[in-house]
Amino acid sequence: MIKIKNLTKKYGNKTVLNNINLEFEKGKVYGIVGENGAGKTTLFRCISGLEKFEGEILSDFKPLKNYIGLLLTNPYFFSRITGREYLQLLCNARQVEIQDFEKQNIFDLPLNQYASTYSTGMKKKLAIMAILLQKNQIFILDEPYNGVDIQSNLIITELILELKKLNKIIIISSHIFSTLNETCDKIHLLKKGELIKTVEKENFQDLEEEMKRKSIGNKVKEMQLK
Amino acid sequence: MKKYFSLQIKLSSRKFREIGIHPILAIILLISALIALSIYIFKKTEFAPYIIVLLTLSFTTKLAEIKRNEFLKTIFKSNQHIKIRIIENLILAFPFLIILLFYHSFLAVGLLLIISIGFAIQNIKTDYHFTIPTPYFKKPFEFTAGFRKTFYLIPLAYILTVISISVDNFNLGIFSFLLIFVIYFSYYFKPEEEYFVWTFNSNTKSFLFYKIKTALLHSSYFVVPILLTLSYFYFSEIWNILLFLIIGYSFLIFFIVAKYSTYPDEIGVVQGIILALSIFFPPILLVIIPMLFSQSQKRLNYLLQ
Repeated sequence: MIKIKNLTKKYGNKTVLNNINLEFEKGKVYGIVGENGAGKTTLFRCISGLEKFEGEILSDFKPLKNYIGLLLTNPYFFSRITGREYLQLLCNARQVEIQDFEKQNIFDLPLNQYASTYSTGMKKKLAIMAILLQKNQIFILDEPYNGVDIQSNLIITELILELKKLNKIIIISSHIFSTLNETCDKIHLLKKGELIKTVEKENFQDLEEEMKRKSIGNKVKEMQLK
Repeated sequence: MKKYFSLQIKLSSRKFREIGIHPILAIILLISALIALSIYIFKKTEFAPYIIVLLTLSFTTKLAEIKRNEFLKTIFKSNQHIKIRIIENLILAFPFLIILLFYHSFLAVGLLLIISIGFAIQNIKTDYHFTIPTPYFKKPFEFTAGFRKTFYLIPLAYILTVISISVDNFNLGIFSFLLIFVIYFSYYFKPEEEYFVWTFNSNTKSFLFYKIKTALLHSSYFVVPILLTLSYFYFSEIWNILLFLIIGYSFLIFFIVAKYSTYPDEIGVVQGIILALSIFFPPILLVIIPMLFSQSQKRLNYLLQ
C-alpha cells in the first residue's frame, strides 16, 4: 500500500501540488486525470522520489523507489544505445537477470537498432517493456498510450489488467478516457494542483461527461470559425 | 549571416557563464591549454602535425552533423548555408592553423584547409541505423555509447603504439597508452538523465563502486594490449609503464567521482581547477578522489536512498 499524506510541492513561490491525500492499494488500478499543468507528472515524480516535497508518503515497500517502475511521458534514450542494451541497462540496475530479451519482446521491437532512432510509439513500448522486465511491484505510467498504435494500445491495456491480477499497484495518467474506463478501479481528478474529486468505477461515465462539458463548454463556438 | 554568428557568440557566452566562468577568461584558458598541448605534442613526437589535424577533425565533425545542417539548410539559402559552414569551420581551425604555421608544418596546413572546406560542403550522418558492435553490451551505457562515438580513435592509439615501437620512441608509446585513457575519460564528461540514476536499487556508495568497477574492468579491454606490448618492447621501462597505468586508472576514477560530485549539473570550473592541479601533481588524487566520492554521495542522496 502507498499512503500520501498532506503532500505539497512548490517551485519557488508557485504551488504545483497542494495538500494531496491519496491511498493506493495492491491489486488496483488508479487513474489520475486533469488538464495540462494540473500536477499529474509532478505527483508521479514525488511518489517516485525524483522530487522533494512537503508531507509524507508511507508505504510497505522500503525504500519505495526500488519497487517502482516509472514510465515517463517522454522516455529519454541515450544516442547509440540499442533497444536491447537499454533493457539490459535497466535490468542491471535492479539486478534482474534476463537471458533472452527476444522472448519477452511482445511489441516486436527491433532490439538491435539504436533506441534513439525509434519512433515515439516504439520508444514508449521499449520503456514499458523495460519496467515490466524489472519485475516491479508498483507501476506509475505517465501517458502510456501516447503515440502508440492501436494494436499496442490493446496490448498495454491487457498488460495493465494482467498486472492487476498479479496484485501490483498501477497508477496511470491518460488523456484517453476510454482506456481509463477499461482499466481503472478509481479515478482521481486533479485541478491546478488540488485533488478535487475521486470517482469510483460506476461513475466514470458521469465524470467523462462532466469533463467534456467543463473543458469544451462554449469555447469552440466563441471562436466563431468561418 | 552576421546575426547568426552573433547568436552563436551569445550562445557560447551563455554556456560559459552557466558553468560559472567569464567568457573572455574561458577563451584565454582554452587558448592557453591549446598552446600548452601543442608544445607538448610537438616536443614528444614528429607526428604532431597529424595529431593536430585529427584533433581539429574531431571538432569539425561535430559541426558537420546532419541534423544540425538540415536545420541550417531550412533557414538559410543554399549558398548562404555553405558560406556559414565554411566560416564556422575556418574559425574552429584558425588556432590550429596558426600553431601549424608556427611549426612550419605547411603540408598539414594545406590538409587542414581542405578538410575544413570539405566538411562544410559534406554533411556527416552521426545517427546511423547501422549498429556498431561493441564489446561492452552487457553493461551499458557509458562504455557502450562512448565506444560508438569514439571507436575510430582506438585504432589510432594502436597505430601510434606500433609507430612508437618501429621508431623506438618510448614517449610516443606512453602517449598512445594515455590516449586510450583520455578517450575513456570523455565518456564521463556529461551527466546522464536523473532517471538512469534513480532506477538503480542501490545506495550511493554501492552505486559509485559499481560505476568505478565497471569502468576499470571495461577500460582494461583496450588498455591491456598496449600495456603488454609496451612492457614487452620496453621491458626496462616497466615501472614507468605501470606508473602510467595507475595514473590512468586514477584519473578515470577521478572523472567518475567528479561527474557525480556536481550531479545533476555538469562538471564545473572547480573540478576543472582540481583536474589541472592533479595533472601537475598526480599524488594529490589520493586526497581528491575520496573527497569527491563523499561529495558525490551527497549529490546522489536524493535519488538513491
